[in-house]
Amino acid sequence: MAIVRAERLSKLFQVADKQPGLGGTLRHLVRRRWRTVAAVQEVSFSIEPGEMVGFLGPNGAGKTTTLKMLSGLIHPSSGVADVAGLEPRRRQRRFLETITLVMGQKQQLLWDLPPLDSLYLNAAVYGIDDGEAKRRIQELAEMLELGPELTRPVRKLSLGERMKAELMAALLHRPQVLFLDEPTLGLDINAQVRVRDFLAAYNRRFGATLLLTSHYMADITALCPRVLLIHQGRLFHDGSLEALTSRLAPCREVRLELAEPVAAEILGTYGDVQQAQGRQVRLLIPRGQLTGQVARILAELAVEDLEVRDPPIEDLIGQVFRKGEVG
Amino acid sequence: MKKLARLARVLLATQYAHMLEYRAEIALWALSGLVPLMMMALWIHQADTAGAIGAAGCGGSGLNRVDLARYFLSAFVVRQFTIAWVVFIFEEDALQGRLSPMLLQPLHPLWRYLSAHLAEQATRFPFVLGLMGLFLLMVPWAAWLPSPGRLALVVLATGLAFAVNFLVQSLIAVLCFWSERASALERLHNLAMLFLSGLMAPLEMFPPAVRQLASWTPFPWIIHFPARLLAGAEVNVAGGLAALVGWLALLLPLTLLLWRAGVRRYAAMGA
Amino acid sequence: MRRRYLKTLLRFWSTALASQTEYQANLVFDLLAIGGNLAGSLFVMSLFFQGGRSLGGWTWPEALVVLGVYSMLDGVANTLLRPNLSRIVTHVQEGTLDFVLLKPIDSQFWLSSRTFTLGGLPEILSGLGLMIWAAAVAGARPSPAAVGAAGLLLLASLTILYSLWFLLATTSIWFVKTWNATEVLRATLTAGRYPISAYPNTLRLLFTVVIPVAFLTTVPAEAILGRPSWAWLLAGGGMALGFFALSRWFWQRALRSYTSASS
Repeated sequence: MAIVRAERLSKLFQVADKQPGLGGTLRHLVRRRWRTVAAVQEVSFSIEPGEMVGFLGPNGAGKTTTLKMLSGLIHPSSGVADVAGLEPRRRQRRFLETITLVMGQKQQLLWDLPPLDSLYLNAAVYGIDDGEAKRRIQELAEMLELGPELTRPVRKLSLGERMKAELMAALLHRPQVLFLDEPTLGLDINAQVRVRDFLAAYNRRFGATLLLTSHYMADITALCPRVLLIHQGRLFHDGSLEALTSRLAPCREVRLELAEPVAAEILGTYGDVQQAQGRQVRLLIPRGQLTGQVARILAELAVEDLEVRDPPIEDLIGQVFRKGEVG
Repeated sequence: MKKLARLARVLLATQYAHMLEYRAEIALWALSGLVPLMMMALWIHQADTAGAIGAAGCGGSGLNRVDLARYFLSAFVVRQFTIAWVVFIFEEDALQGRLSPMLLQPLHPLWRYLSAHLAEQATRFPFVLGLMGLFLLMVPWAAWLPSPGRLALVVLATGLAFAVNFLVQSLIAVLCFWSERASALERLHNLAMLFLSGLMAPLEMFPPAVRQLASWTPFPWIIHFPARLLAGAEVNVAGGLAALVGWLALLLPLTLLLWRAGVRRYAAMGA
Repeated sequence: MRRRYLKTLLRFWSTALASQTEYQANLVFDLLAIGGNLAGSLFVMSLFFQGGRSLGGWTWPEALVVLGVYSMLDGVANTLLRPNLSRIVTHVQEGTLDFVLLKPIDSQFWLSSRTFTLGGLPEILSGLGLMIWAAAVAGARPSPAAVGAAGLLLLASLTILYSLWFLLATTSIWFVKTWNATEVLRATLTAGRYPISAYPNTLRLLFTVVIPVAFLTTVPAEAILGRPSWAWLLAGGGMALGFFALSRWFWQRALRSYTSASS
């Protein structure tokens, strides 16, 4: 029995079309023009209890909007959202006690007070009596390696410590479904690893279902055996990570700084040109051909600097479209 | 000199564009200044039911409903153009850490605040005009048109009144360099302004002793004097203008001096 | 369920208190401001009574009862309404409204009672004090029924005030830039300082039917002075329930079009 289900979920936003400047403002006053933005289009999937699923996609792809529809914050324009047999938008108490939403850049902790105060406030809100709350706080603090931080005002904590405390506040009521929106945003590498380890441990210990959005590949590779790729509001892939990476032409990004500009046609013979501005060039080269092409580039062009790295998601997905692999 | 003019132009233009973005909020602020009009309704009703109002013990004609209507309408307009919010914006800037970058620039922050106030008044102007028209529709029997000469005097008086109010607020704001709690003085200043400036009742209504006391403060000169001028009443123009100029002469050097000392302290504290 | 709400409320207010560390220092200024406000209001009111006049048929102590009721309501506005409802627009702008909506607690309850300003309490007390003292001076000897009616009417006043304020604050879900609409409301409500009969007829109508200022101060004052009108009591109660229901309905309607700030 699926615990999270989306069936042709869609969300359309009406956005005011306003030109900048004084003229634009006046025109906007007289005649308002609206644009329809399709943030999410006909997304369908179903998730079993205990699964850890990642939503991958570039900024503005619709990941966060989907998550907010599943948590009941936004009403879908059409389609069905179902979590634990309940309709999210009705925001019934049972539903709210079953889920939690953690957002990377926003916090629910009280700024001037220690996290403990926020934790006991949440305990009251969720109807957890003080003894049980204390036990759970202890348990979560152990898992997150938090101790004295709990009694310091939140504004005095580092970003990593704040995120951990945020997670404690969000999980005090032992929700069955965790929605996490970019939880590692802005954290340093160590903190990112700690958060990922904690989420994996939480899933093991309590069998909770995790839905995680991120535009960092590392989050997804570390935690999610199953990946949903969302781009421009549509679902492009629903399956394992291996299937995705083998589907997206495996390639690497090569950044060049040339001694003098070279024509785009010539650059195109080495690989897929992403960007060619004067002497700065970015190419996508399939993994198999990498060493051969790099050798050719170094031999045939005057190169001042060369860097090889993983391409950003946007470029990979762009590749998918150009190669016609949609579906 | 040309550079100065250019700076002023750019500063005002940017502030005006900024204020236009907040025109809805500004319109509402203008609307929330309708206390004088409520007082007008009360006083007129009082005058109608119990005869013309006159200050006790002050011989001479009292104020009938026409005088009262004109006075309060004028007070409303004068209030709209003499409002200052320096303490509020200063506190915000200090809290958000915007003060330090401002102090590093070769432009005195008070000029910045002044241009913001002027821009806000310019944004407010159409709404105030509209509201005035609306209120005149409600009391058409009081409608009047001041002569151009008088209007010029009113503009002068209101401008001076605004300058005085601006400086009083700046003085309170400057004190915040020494203590955060100085902004609480603003609440008291607001109260004094509300009750002593003639917003609630023309000073002619006050018992003579209170009126004497009030005239030693800047407040009645900020609202009551320009309002009576605009309403077309017999006013001691020279006296009023002298009072405003006097307050200006007192507050301007004081504020600038305290500001300099305050900035020194701020820098010394390494804020 | 009631226990949960009560416990949550206690936690709300204890954390609010803990955050107001500077209270003791501000106490002096708060008291000065409240005292100054009261003194000023009394002074302005006294101007109307010069030369042996009355105000709309009300005597000086009677008018003071109205002022007392007004001060009490203003105190409640400063203690509970302003600190809480002005936060709604901040929540919308920063996206933290999401967190409120996700809690298994009624969001209107949360937003309305989350915090309070300690400095507003003296104003409530002074208003109550003025009300009772002035009533005594006016020679009022209200029957227990009248006192009961007065209490109910005051409750109705508070409900109407809250509902009006909340209705306006709700609009910030759509219009973030008009957050100060509640200030216009507050300015309009200062009309309640004076008995409604002091205003000309057109305004009297406005202040009874459109913006029920009359119900906020004059009607309860009449009851306290021992002359309640059962028609007014019914009307007041009806208005209170009506406006409250409207505020709830409007809030739920607003949440439906809530688009939640983007990440």
